[in-house]
Amino acid sequence: MSTKIKQRLNRILLWGLIVVMAFWMLFPFYWAVNSSFKSEGMLAMTPTTFVPRDPDTGTLYFYLRNYEAVFTNQAFLRAIGNSLIVATATTLLSLAIGSFAGFALGKLRYRGKTATLYIILAMTMFPAIAVLTGLYAIITELKIPPLLSMIFTYMLFTLPFTAWVLTAFFRELPTEIFQSAQVDGASPLQTFYLILLPLTAPAMVTTGLLAFIGAWNEYLFALTFTSIAPDARTLPVIIANFPSQFSRQIPFGEIMAGGVVSSIPLVLLVFIFQRRIVAGLTAGAVKG
Amino acid sequence: MAKRGHGDLAAQEQRLAYGLLAPTFVVLLAIAIYPLFSVFYNSFTNNVFASATPTEVVGFENYRRLLSLTIQVVPPKLDDAGQPVVDGESGEVKYESAVSILPREPLRFRPVNQFTLFGTRYVLGATDPAFVLAVWDTVLFGVATVFLELALGIVVALLVNTNFKGRGLMRALILVPWAIPTAVSSQMWAYMLQPNRTGFFNTLFWHLGFGNGEIPFLSDPAWQLPSMILIDVWKTTPFMALLLLAGLQLIPADLYEAADVDGAGPVRKFFQLTLPLLRGTIAVALVFRTLDALRVFDLFQIVLGQARYSMASFTYYELIQNRQMGYSSASSVVIFVVLSIFAVAYMRGLGVKSDEH
Repeated sequence: MSTKIKQRLNRILLWGLIVVMAFWMLFPFYWAVNSSFKSEGMLAMTPTTFVPRDPDTGTLYFYLRNYEAVFTNQAFLRAIGNSLIVATATTLLSLAIGSFAGFALGKLRYRGKTATLYIILAMTMFPAIAVLTGLYAIITELKIPPLLSMIFTYMLFTLPFTAWVLTAFFRELPTEIFQSAQVDGASPLQTFYLILLPLTAPAMVTTGLLAFIGAWNEYLFALTFTSIAPDARTLPVIIANFPSQFSRQIPFGEIMAGGVVSSIPLVLLVFIFQRRIVAGLTAGAVKG
Repeated sequence: MAKRGHGDLAAQEQRLAYGLLAPTFVVLLAIAIYPLFSVFYNSFTNNVFASATPTEVVGFENYRRLLSLTIQVVPPKLDDAGQPVVDGESGEVKYESAVSILPREPLRFRPVNQFTLFGTRYVLGATDPAFVLAVWDTVLFGVATVFLELALGIVVALLVNTNFKGRGLMRALILVPWAIPTAVSSQMWAYMLQPNRTGFFNTLFWHLGFGNGEIPFLSDPAWQLPSMILIDVWKTTPFMALLLLAGLQLIPADLYEAADVDGAGPVRKFFQLTLPLLRGTIAVALVFRTLDALRVFDLFQIVLGQARYSMASFTYYELIQNRQMGYSSASSVVIFVVLSIFAVAYMRGLGVKSDEH
């Protein structure tokens, strides 16, 4: 009897903690959604309201102008395009280049392998801020356009990570596949293209997702390299320095609407690919 | 013949490996190694971006300006009779102004902080108080966030490692703070921390009878760092929890069964079984998170701007706002060195062997 009560208590405690945790994780995002449906007058109400309410009647009221403003804001629309271009290009480039390296590091025998592995691992922790001034100097010297600058420099964090995680996946593939293909007369490169690459497709999806999210969210380089090129700004830069249509105060309603819009693709990715993202994140840090 | 063929194959494989690695290393050379060297070189020059002044090598001048510290005794104010002046109301001794004590030549020192030790008043002076404070704040921020994230991360990891209905959904849910762009989450929190009751936190505290509903979370220096820490803990605990979860899943279940047979309670199981077996994972997670926390940029730049710097946002403003290429390069180098020290210290202190990776 008493163990039954104890079990029930444990259950209640567990669910209590789960509810608290879920609330803590989601509440700020809920607050952004809530605020994005408020007009400037509604945002100025004190005390603030937990759902959008009409200031006069106090009834539930969704104000949609913020979203309208965001989707007619040229800077914001351009930023969506820029973010898509930069994140996609960086991801594809990192996957292409990183899979070569991953194959060599994971499956081939050559002199200096340990050293190269260590270099790649060290590079996954490389602080971008340390080379900011150097990269900025090169980019302005060579007059590289900002979008291209971002695509290349984002590889500073996507490429070592991609190579590192793919190395782990290549290593886990059974060597027999590789050997039997060689016995059949396939060159290592053919083996790579025809046999190993299709097998690593799931790993590519995982690392690709993480590279994409990392590039989509990047702020330091984007802010620096577009400081005199407003047309090339990506979503994080626009959200952080929101250009208001009617510049009165900080347009928090529009910022929240813009923030919700730029987060939704990521939230969807997270819910669809939860397992893969978790696997990739932990492979990058723990395994290898 | 066969032997030679084998040797050829090995040589071929090696050539292929180098060929496949070449693109990665060329890219990293171009965007990491070369810029790093140029930053090192620039840190010894007086390079000002887009300026007519010719760039000269100035040796350690930038570092001297960044890092010079001094501690001086602040003498009490004396009246005509040579007695210390005492404030009539509070009864406290009045001191000379700190600025007048600090050296001006060859570099001008400004006060960072004043403190009293064994009855003597001291002033800590620096040639660039903003940078010294940025380093101090960043390290404080790093230590506090990583510690809190580790503690909360273990709780979250243990929770989502338990069997319950909807566990998969919960695991996806804790990824939400991690996935939201930092630019967005910074703005979200900045709005929740508004200095009046339009903000969520001021409304909440006011309802709880704490504060007057007008706490300036982001402009009062006493509240700034705690606010930054709160935001970062929300954003990054999920990442920590996922790393720890991966470690938890590596612990064989029969160890727990054996502990059950021995009649160990949950608390004892946690401290004598889970925690020691999680050591390696915790070490790796700490290294990753500390390196991440010490280079914090987005959060500080977006929420506090130039009101208070992290090491990274200081560097950014020196480069973009003040166009001080040489000076900001020197601060980049300092960040690089600080990060390296932390990385090595952690690896050593926690006994992570390199072959564990």
